[in-house]
Amino acid sequence: MPRALHDMNALIRPLESLGRATIGSLAGMGYAAVLLGESLYFSVAGWRIGQPLRPRAVAEQMRQIGVDALPIVVLLALTIGIMLGIQFIAALSAFGAQSQVVVAVAKSVTREFGALITAILVAGRSGSALAARIGSMSVSQEVDALATMGIEPVRYLAAPALLAMLVMLPALTIFADAVAIGGAALYSSPALNITPSAYVMQTLSLLEPGDVWQGIAKSAVFAVLITLIGVSTGFSVAGGAEGVGRATTRAVVLSICWIIVVDMIFSYFLNR
Amino acid sequence: MNVTAPLIEVEKLEAWYGRRRILNGVDFAVNPGEIRVIMGGSGSGKSTLLRHLLGLHKPRSGTVRLLGVDIARASERQMLDVRRQIGVSFQGGALLTSLSVGDNVALPLREHTNLDEATIRIMSRLKLEVVNLGGFQDLMPAQLSGGMIKRTALARAIAMDPKLLFFDEPSAGLDPVVSAELDELILRLRDALRMTIVVVTHELESAFKIADTITVLDQGDILMTGTVDAVRHSDNERIQDLLNRRPREIQVDADAYLKRLTEEAA
Amino acid sequence: MSDSENACISEDLGGYVLVRVCGEVDLSWSQQVRDAILAALGNGGVGVELALVTYIDSSGIAALVEGFQTARGKGKRFGVIAASRAVLAVLQLARLDKVFPMFADVDAARAA
Ligand SMILES: Nc1ncnc2c1ncn2[C@@H]1O[C@H](COP(=O)(O)OP(=O)(O)OP(=O)(O)O)[C@@H](O)[C@H]1O
Ligand SMILES: [Mg+2]
Repeated sequence: MPRALHDMNALIRPLESLGRATIGSLAGMGYAAVLLGESLYFSVAGWRIGQPLRPRAVAEQMRQIGVDALPIVVLLALTIGIMLGIQFIAALSAFGAQSQVVVAVAKSVTREFGALITAILVAGRSGSALAARIGSMSVSQEVDALATMGIEPVRYLAAPALLAMLVMLPALTIFADAVAIGGAALYSSPALNITPSAYVMQTLSLLEPGDVWQGIAKSAVFAVLITLIGVSTGFSVAGGAEGVGRATTRAVVLSICWIIVVDMIFSYFLNR
Repeated sequence: MNVTAPLIEVEKLEAWYGRRRILNGVDFAVNPGEIRVIMGGSGSGKSTLLRHLLGLHKPRSGTVRLLGVDIARASERQMLDVRRQIGVSFQGGALLTSLSVGDNVALPLREHTNLDEATIRIMSRLKLEVVNLGGFQDLMPAQLSGGMIKRTALARAIAMDPKLLFFDEPSAGLDPVVSAELDELILRLRDALRMTIVVVTHELESAFKIADTITVLDQGDILMTGTVDAVRHSDNERIQDLLNRRPREIQVDADAYLKRLTEEAA
Repeated sequence: MSDSENACISEDLGGYVLVRVCGEVDLSWSQQVRDAILAALGNGGVGVELALVTYIDSSGIAALVEGFQTARGKGKRFGVIAASRAVLAVLQLARLDKVFPMFADVDAARAA
């Protein structure tokens, strides 16, 4: 092969793979959008075409996504609350603004950290579980079997997860908000010379509904992201057990990246 | 629908994976009450044909009609109606690993009928009795042997008393007794429940035993479709190779061979 | 294959009820057969006559099984009478011909 052509190739190869990756991720987004549409369609109108959403399947998913995550959510939220207490007391006392600790913790937890921490946790727990479950079902032809039995895989596997996630992630977020503020109260009230219950009362009087809503709105968006990424990577698994493993990792990494980026965008627009 | 109209009609079906053509315009028809065996060497496109018959892939060109419905053009409602009348037993079983054997068999009934739970229980356990798995309904798929998985998959495939049953490799990997039992069962299902059955298999012996007609597939083309006798006595060389387990002669083109071995992007 | 052939008629013959089933018993109306058999069991023994059944699917067989089980629970008599070839083939498939009391005709059932 002539030298020049070889150099051209070295130049074109990375461009080519970049192009392919771009097309791949665009296709992935398109597929996720289709899945979202179909899941919502089956949830609302599935019963009319003989593809009803089963309340039992939704309840089971709600248990796995929400209830089973409670202990670890409590643990993390408590830790984050204490950590924020420590940081804000240290930072604000440098300006003699210790009294602002309560409002700083309250707003940062409800607007930001409650939703973010819960979403990252659920992405790690349930996003990966969805990708692994659906991925191994695709590999072993269970998804094909469902389709040939006249059970739409999206209705049977994706729609219940989406609904459960849309209910449980905001619920977990509210719960995490409360626990984190409780944790901050436990740590900071002695430093501020107030009782923990006075701390909590003060928090409640300082918080506006908009603060809490901001977190809840974000968590609903995160719920959609986590489910769609988990489900779509699961359905597109190819290549046996190894493929399932790769899909699981990919689902978690992609979800967390998307969560953080979307969170930043949301924060920017909501706090202008 | 006319009673004698074919249950499956395939016309000029082409199938592609990426840039490779796997089926080259296949014509295919199966009549009610028939047991059709699809035979062919490894990689000849049997599974691909089956996946198109099941509507798991949309044909690149050509049509597939199941029970009179063109599955590329069918509405969701029509497709569901068709799928309620077909049963499929996959090669690997494809049992849902999260459900017990009994729940796997009951799944189509639970999803598609309003029968009460007592009736569904009886019907699904009856199907387990039919495949000689009576009493195993509480086991999970992970606790089954290969032969039991295959029989459970068959029980699930016939749960709704389908008109049309597809069976991929019934006897692959089974001991001779169990596979003979399955052959027997296929014949009895047709007689008792009036099923039309399409079987994909490698096993010549089992094919000759159960088939009314055999379709021989070779590298994406149908070599012939005919009765067991017609296939046995066919003078087509490839068919005889297949029947007599003769290794095929592979033509060597020196240029192409060297190119395959040495070129970077072959 | 028209639906008009499908029928399920109960006759009270004093002490037991004869349920005559005709046509093709499938999912679309097998619940009716089941209800008829279960209702008949309120009035004593039941014989299910299947001579004119040209096809029976497993929901129909399930109705017979449920009837037999209920009869045994109540200490009533239950029999399958004059099963047609189509019915027999399905019963044999599940080996139920060795489970149900089978009678060749109504007189044989009455004698037993
Ligand atoms: N998912 C796929 N992607 C790309 N090519 C495929 C895929 N599945 C099958 N093929 C190719 O299609 C051809 C036909 O495969 P198919 O599975 O239909 O063969 P088969 O007749 O079922 O063989 P076997 O008896 O070994 O199961 C093969 O050459 C195979 O490489
Ligand atoms: Mg194959």
